[in-house]
Amino acid sequence: MKYEHCIRCTICVENCPVFRVNPAFPGPKQAGPDAQRFRSNREKSADEWVLSCSQCKRCEMACPCGVEPAQIILRAQQKYGLEHPHTAAHLLFANNYYLSTLGSLTAPLANRFAATKIGKKIFQRMGIATYIPFPKFSFKTLRGSMKSRSRETRKVAFFYGCFINFYRPDIGRKIIRMLQSFKIDVVLPPQWCCGLPALGNGNLALARSFAGKNIASLSNYVDAGYDVVYTCTSCGLCLLHDYQGIMEIPGAKKIAENSYDLHEYVLKLIAEREIKPQFKEVNRTLAYHIPCHLRALEIGYPAANLMQLIPGLTCQILDDNCCGLNGSYGFKKINEVTALQLGGRAVSLIKKTGAEAIVADCGSCRMQLAGLSGMDAFDPVEIICESLGIKDKK
Amino acid sequence: MSVIEYDVIIIGAGVAGLTAGAWLSEQGLKVALVTAGEPTACLSTGCIDVCAKNDDPLQGIAHLSQDHPFHLVSSGTIRQALDDFQQIMAAMNMPYTGGLENNRRVLSALGTFKTTCLTPVTMQASPQNENERIHIITFAGLKDFYPGYIISRFKNASFSTYDAGVSTTMGIAANFEDESFLEAFILWLEKQQVREDKIAVPAVLGLESAAAIIKQIEYRLERPVFEIPTIPPSMPGRRLFNGLKDHFRRKGGMIYWGWPVVGVEKTGRQIEAVMAQSQGRPNSLNARAFILATGSFVGGGLEAKRDTIVEKVFHLPVFVPGEREAWFDQDYFSMNHGIGRAGIAVDSSFRPVGCPWDNIFVCGAILAHTEALKNGCGHGFAIATGQAAAKSCLEHLP
Repeated sequence: MKYEHCIRCTICVENCPVFRVNPAFPGPKQAGPDAQRFRSNREKSADEWVLSCSQCKRCEMACPCGVEPAQIILRAQQKYGLEHPHTAAHLLFANNYYLSTLGSLTAPLANRFAATKIGKKIFQRMGIATYIPFPKFSFKTLRGSMKSRSRETRKVAFFYGCFINFYRPDIGRKIIRMLQSFKIDVVLPPQWCCGLPALGNGNLALARSFAGKNIASLSNYVDAGYDVVYTCTSCGLCLLHDYQGIMEIPGAKKIAENSYDLHEYVLKLIAEREIKPQFKEVNRTLAYHIPCHLRALEIGYPAANLMQLIPGLTCQILDDNCCGLNGSYGFKKINEVTALQLGGRAVSLIKKTGAEAIVADCGSCRMQLAGLSGMDAFDPVEIICESLGIKDKK
Repeated sequence: MSVIEYDVIIIGAGVAGLTAGAWLSEQGLKVALVTAGEPTACLSTGCIDVCAKNDDPLQGIAHLSQDHPFHLVSSGTIRQALDDFQQIMAAMNMPYTGGLENNRRVLSALGTFKTTCLTPVTMQASPQNENERIHIITFAGLKDFYPGYIISRFKNASFSTYDAGVSTTMGIAANFEDESFLEAFILWLEKQQVREDKIAVPAVLGLESAAAIIKQIEYRLERPVFEIPTIPPSMPGRRLFNGLKDHFRRKGGMIYWGWPVVGVEKTGRQIEAVMAQSQGRPNSLNARAFILATGSFVGGGLEAKRDTIVEKVFHLPVFVPGEREAWFDQDYFSMNHGIGRAGIAVDSSFRPVGCPWDNIFVCGAILAHTEALKNGCGHGFAIATGQAAAKSCLEHLP
């Protein structure tokens, strides 16, 4: 952790969405490098406000000196989590994977319950915000609905992530069909939650156990000549950064070197002249909300590059604003006001563009923005599939 | 040609880089801008210093030392570049006032005056001497602004304090974007029964709507209101950066954040691609030409080692002002520290002297012999050389 490199220029503070709306949070400079000088392993952490950081990583992207305030704060959050009892909301969201498995198995019941007044009241009692509806569990998960094939030379191990698997398997199926249409063999390797929700809720041990299992599984596929492709930008950030970084999982470097964002992968195939997709006209005016974690992946905005190839499509990039939800962050009652204010701001800027719909890579961004704006929110791959004429056939 | 092969890649997201990038995009080129982080422009006052050596900035430039890179830009290009800049910022709802005919003064938070050329419209009414009658507003708990400094120099000044509920520049500025907050502030201000001719406020009047906010206050209070630039976080600096950045993007430019260039691919006399650090595979981007606008020492373009100075991206030859003893003057506050002249020396096409590659162009604060502090040539110099280097780049595009 390079906190000594901080020249205290406050550019990170200017970029912090939470600092902007929550006076109780001292901002990335103070919570990160400044406070780090006073943190000691032998002392119990008292700075509860570190939990107000949403880990959007905007401070890290902005820092001209290579300091990683969010990383410093993330470590402080884990220490705080180790030393203090976890609230019900923290425990639930950390174990999101198991919860979702259960939710999907009982989808008709679980979805109906979550939408009732009693359901909402119970959630609020547990410290969970209900200002936007919960995503609906899908009874048929992606995992349960796809069979693998193996005929082609280029092979992809698809790390689909919890959101696609439990809530939007239709997007997952479209992705698989699209890759298959490029003559790519797609398999779904055994996989678990990436671990980011556990990390975000101060449960490093649980995060590491997920990560260890994923690395062991993906490692076999990489050895067998598969490229790992992820579509959730937060899963991707976890695979690339956190497994090697805070979680220190052996073998993580190999996975990072062989993992691609879906759109980055398609662009690479086009650049290497392996595929030549024929994009057909899509007449839409879209606002592309860049998820904070796509920005943090440091790979540019590959879906924007791809969508530029679609005739008829107008797509304005908006990357200055965090949607405010940040996965489970905004679903916690304690962060509700912050999440609502940030979301409201992001939505007002989207509406200013005159776009008819929103496009965003991240499922939780889409949930928040669609929920607050009443507009449609698409995954970029949905737009690309529309242009390529690929539909979800169940 | 691959889908992500650009015509030109700009390295550095400061005023020079964004100006060059927007100009090239406007000519129909495919431009990408890569940057390690956000630029030092965010820390600036947002004022456009062209040359503070003379009341007439162009006269000032004419009298700069022979080797000053400002001489490489024709006065026509300087005029055009600054005109373009004013149009861009007006279209972004952050208009600038002033012109190249003469410099103007802006009141600083210390009560001193800064000489500059163009100012954000929010500083248009800034007093031009200490005798003007001003009423200063400060905010409870705001640590970065003390009206006492100004009052000690102004005979006809008084102040009052507003409690905004928050005490940080960013927090207050964000609040001003909220109409009900602004209304409450104006009502309070009306009750203060200000007698002075002008009202001064530290630069916290909103994030992106500052021009409209100040207009509204002026309308209600029936007298000029102006912002006083503060130490970072500096809202006028951020507005400047946001305006130029959004303009570049509207022209079709692509920005890669978190992209510190660590490697270069080259064949013969051409740079083919730049590579960035990554957790996984190295990322690389191809282009036909490259514009280096990484700034000076604080911006991160130059790094001083014990006995030498290096340029961090391409390791271009750097002009070093003699031995280390010659780098610094005895007096800390001197304007004549030799180190101010360090940088990349370029020929009339803005290509580095003694460089083994033909498709690199350099602009902005990283240029040698600039002495930005001494000559008072900051953003204005960046805008002018940014456009000039972009023009040369287009002309010489392989």
